Amino acid sequence: MEQIGLSHIAITTGILLILTGLWGILTQKNIIKMIIGFSLFDTGIHIVMVGVGYVEGKTAPILDEAVQLKEAARQIVDPLPQAMVLTAIVIGIGITALMLAYALRLYQKNKTLDIQKFNDLKW
Amino acid sequence: MVEPIYIVASGLGIAFLLGLFRKTGESLPGLIMLLTLAFMTFVSGQWLISLMFEGGTPQYTYTAGFKPPFSINLLMGQSEAVITTMVNGVGLLGGLYLLDRLKAQGVNSMIVFLLLFVGLNVVVMTRDLFNLFVFLEVSSVAIVGLVLLERSTQSLSAGFKYLLATALISGILLIGIILIYQYAGSLYIDDLVRANLTAVKGGMVAVFLILIAVALELKPFPANGWGLDLYQGAHPGLGALVSGGFATAMVFVLYKLLPMAGGGWQYMMATLGAVTFIGSNLLGIKQGHAKRLLGYSSVGQIGLLMIVVGLSQHLGEALTAIACGLLVSHFLAKSGLFWLAGIIQKDGLRDWAVLRKKPFLLVLFGTFIFALVGFPPFPSFFAKWELIMQLSAAEGFAWAGIVLFGSLLEGIYLFRWLGYSIKLDHQELPSFRLPWQKILPVGISGVALYILGYFATPIASGAGSLSYLPLAFIVLVFLLDFLPARVKNVLSLAGMAFYGYMIMPGLYENDGLRFLFSIIFVIGGILTLLPGFAYTGKRRGFYPAALLMFAGLGQLLTAETLLQFFFAWELMTVGSYILIIRGKRSMRHGYTYMLFSVGGAFLMLAGFGIAYATSGMTSLEALGQVTQWAGWASALIAIGFMTKTATLGLHIWLPGAHAEAESDVSPMVSAILLKAGVFGLLLLFISMGAESAGSKPLFYVLGWLGAITALIANLTAVFQEDAKRLLAYSSIGQLGYILFAFAIMTHVGWLAGFTYTINHFMYKAILFLVVGGIVMRLKTHNMYEMGGLIKRMPYSFIAVLIGIIALSGLPPLSGFAGKWLFYNAGIEKGWYLQGGVVFFSGIIAFLYLYRLIHSVFLGQLKDRHRTVKEISPWFLVPAYVLILGIMAFSANPEWFLKPFGQITAPYFPDSQLTWQSDGTAVGQLGYWNGTQVMAIVMALFVAITLWLIMLNRNAKKVKQFNIVYAAESPETPETTHISYNLYAGYNKALGVLTRPGITGLWNWISEAVTELADQVRRIYSGNGQTYVLHVLTYVVIVYLITTGGL
Repeated sequence: MEQIGLSHIAITTGILLILTGLWGILTQKNIIKMIIGFSLFDTGIHIVMVGVGYVEGKTAPILDEAVQLKEAARQIVDPLPQAMVLTAIVIGIGITALMLAYALRLYQKNKTLDIQKFNDLKW
Repeated sequence: MVEPIYIVASGLGIAFLLGLFRKTGESLPGLIMLLTLAFMTFVSGQWLISLMFEGGTPQYTYTAGFKPPFSINLLMGQSEAVITTMVNGVGLLGGLYLLDRLKAQGVNSMIVFLLLFVGLNVVVMTRDLFNLFVFLEVSSVAIVGLVLLERSTQSLSAGFKYLLATALISGILLIGIILIYQYAGSLYIDDLVRANLTAVKGGMVAVFLILIAVALELKPFPANGWGLDLYQGAHPGLGALVSGGFATAMVFVLYKLLPMAGGGWQYMMATLGAVTFIGSNLLGIKQGHAKRLLGYSSVGQIGLLMIVVGLSQHLGEALTAIACGLLVSHFLAKSGLFWLAGIIQKDGLRDWAVLRKKPFLLVLFGTFIFALVGFPPFPSFFAKWELIMQLSAAEGFAWAGIVLFGSLLEGIYLFRWLGYSIKLDHQELPSFRLPWQKILPVGISGVALYILGYFATPIASGAGSLSYLPLAFIVLVFLLDFLPARVKNVLSLAGMAFYGYMIMPGLYENDGLRFLFSIIFVIGGILTLLPGFAYTGKRRGFYPAALLMFAGLGQLLTAETLLQFFFAWELMTVGSYILIIRGKRSMRHGYTYMLFSVGGAFLMLAGFGIAYATSGMTSLEALGQVTQWAGWASALIAIGFMTKTATLGLHIWLPGAHAEAESDVSPMVSAILLKAGVFGLLLLFISMGAESAGSKPLFYVLGWLGAITALIANLTAVFQEDAKRLLAYSSIGQLGYILFAFAIMTHVGWLAGFTYTINHFMYKAILFLVVGGIVMRLKTHNMYEMGGLIKRMPYSFIAVLIGIIALSGLPPLSGFAGKWLFYNAGIEKGWYLQGGVVFFSGIIAFLYLYRLIHSVFLGQLKDRHRTVKEISPWFLVPAYVLILGIMAFSANPEWFLKPFGQITAPYFPDSQLTWQSDGTAVGQLGYWNGTQVMAIVMALFVAITLWLIMLNRNAKKVKQFNIVYAAESPETPETTHISYNLYAGYNKALGVLTRPGITGLWNWISEAVTELADQVRRIYSGNGQTYVLHVLTYVVIVYLITTGGL
């Protein structure tokens, strides 16, 4: 049987974070708490991505003394998931910022952050 | 040629540079933004032209000099060129439209606006999955940013809900992408398509997550509350961008990614589309808020496109054309509608009546509505036709049914809305501003729909040499609409005459049946256009509509293929709808007429689909070559035609539509338009094999339907107080006779049918013309408010007298010929009981005819009518021309009946009717000589008249008021009038048959549908968390269904 490695721990943690985040989005009435939920959800996804991209026993994709150019393809982990995670983190920050901006505007206009108060548009 | 990468580079570069212009004011950055969008449109348009028309080759752009999968690459192929041109086009027009808003918000909003379109272009062109994700996020964030153009609580909360849902969806997409990468080792879409990922369990989950995320971006019903709230809450200019730009791009993304999955998944996507198309359009029925309704319609149309993409494997080479036709129509119409919503700034559908203040906006609104439902000459018409044909050819009849049913549901709310804007009574119609930069985009969308429709014609199988010449003439008349009515009337008459000159000689040579109907459609058209000279003013919109109807009718006769026939049928429907809804109180009736027409047309279309599928032919002969499901095909088509002949059950639109129409419209739609249904039925009967088909149960049913229609309609006519309503019910009854006669399916039966057809045309035109003329003079429809008019309107009296004698079927006039043939045929066929019903309804007809002549012309002249003049000669002249026709038929029936025999002979060769040299017709059951009967009756008439004059020579003439009153004066004077409720006794005995049971049934159906829509739409609670839950539940349920876990 395969040993429980770092990537398993990462993926499990990530999934737990995703679920926690979803729970937060679905159950918290306060918009700020919902945004925190989204943040957790997003972070969870990023951790899962890192976990999936990680390969046991290989090193970081940086060419220095530890990695020779000729051996690189065998020694390093695939850099693409990490590049993707970086991008995803940036996008996630953008979305979180936009959500917070909305929260601010909503609060300024209505003096409340209760999501249930914002259901004029329906049906 | 400019490289496609410059679309992205220019947008992105200028967006950054715009930041430098914060201090220069907003005009310069606004101009730069528009120029950039124009440049982007130019580049993609250039590729469109090169790839579509000049045989250019698709271009790959590789970043950083690596080939995929080591680099991101963009593809500019034919589809990409089409989609990016559309997206950039809506960006340019939408940017112009929103310019003042964007200026008010500052340079930052312009940057966001440009980024939205950079994002969409990359999403369309990229072949890299992660790149797709990034720019999808850019677009989504830009949309949410642009929501802030409107800073009400509603738009803020809508934006937040949208953000929440799209954030969740992008999370799902991201997980899918990383899983895909793990299983395929590549994110290059072409690699992924080749990799057959769905074969392994993990790969399948990955593909599922990606496809469901894309599907969710299309806002599928019912997990789309967040999208609908955005449509409703955001600025309509943004609604146009989301519906026209974002949704268009996402449909293409679905099309691009779907090949990653296998066949079963494509059905899944089509099913999700079907649920969306039906569900969203159903909920639209109850919706009263304009922008939200547009959202429902938008979501529905995207659902239709999901069906098309999902079923792409069955559509073969037609796929691109169908998808483009539907997409471009929706794109132009929906952006146009959102922009209109922004111009008039009214949320309630009923408030759109203000559009009447600006007729050209009303015309554009109508254009968009007709384009959405799929009427000619718009691209959606041809695309929908081809979709139904290809689905049928692949035996996907259930899919075809779903497409048609959903379209009907969409028609229900769209035509109600159009009706409101044309006709709804409105106390005050506030004016609104019309800035040119807001009108221009709407106008361009509208005009583009017509132009693209013209070019989209070849999409449809069997378009052949579809003639646009009549339509070009109508456009000319429409452009001259500012001229006085008389001038346009002359122009229209000239057009009609020329049209007749073009088509009638050819038909005379080759096809007696079509020639007969061309007399009704063209000559009848000319005669009923003459009364137009009695109108003063401009009569805006009347002539284009009337000509459209007549062009449709004429093209029915020249149609050679199924498509040409259907095209003509729909043109006729549009024209007649506009004519009918022009009446003062016609909003409801025009609406009902349209719904029955659309429903009937869709049934026909389904039938045509079966015919095309089983015969493989596009010509009208296909109807006769149906090898399988022939019963279904003929039943569907027959019901379609019977919505126009107003057979019982499908008749409820007719009385109101004909009665409330303008005086010269009633004869058009009654005497002429109804014959289109008759012509269609005849084509169907002939193609079914005429004689050999006569024993089919269908004809037995149709015979009974005709008989019962005649009975009930005639009985209802008896109890009408409104003269035009009486004539309308009478028309239903007469069409019942015609259906009955043709359903007999023998030589004599058809002779009777033709006789009734031509006679009903003549006498119903006479009656409606004269009664219409009287209504114009007296300003009332009620017969008890008329009376004694014989003195004031003697020529009208004579015309009506001749009309009702002909209608009643009494000798010596032509109606008798019909009756005589009719009974011969019925008895030969052995239809005694049905024949008895028809005979009985013929007797009932005497009651209402007597009422018409008695209540209107005889009795006491009303005080207020003492100086009323004879009706306008423009109504009398055509009526008297038609009287000449009736007289000719009556005096020399063989002039007409012999040609009818020649028409019938090819289909029913063994005639039981022979002609002797003196013009006597001999049937199996007896003989009849019209000329002699005429002579005898005339002699009797003269003799009796002389005798009466003799008897009355000593009578004393008294004045009208030389009578004694009783000592009371009644409170409601009209109830004491003899003509009021004239047949109260009969009503007690037989009135139960005329209770509007069928109207009740249709009302019940419509209420049930509306109530269902109202209940279902409550799932959109307005709570952002509920919407997120919908999205998650949707993912789980679809997953369980696709993997077979549910």
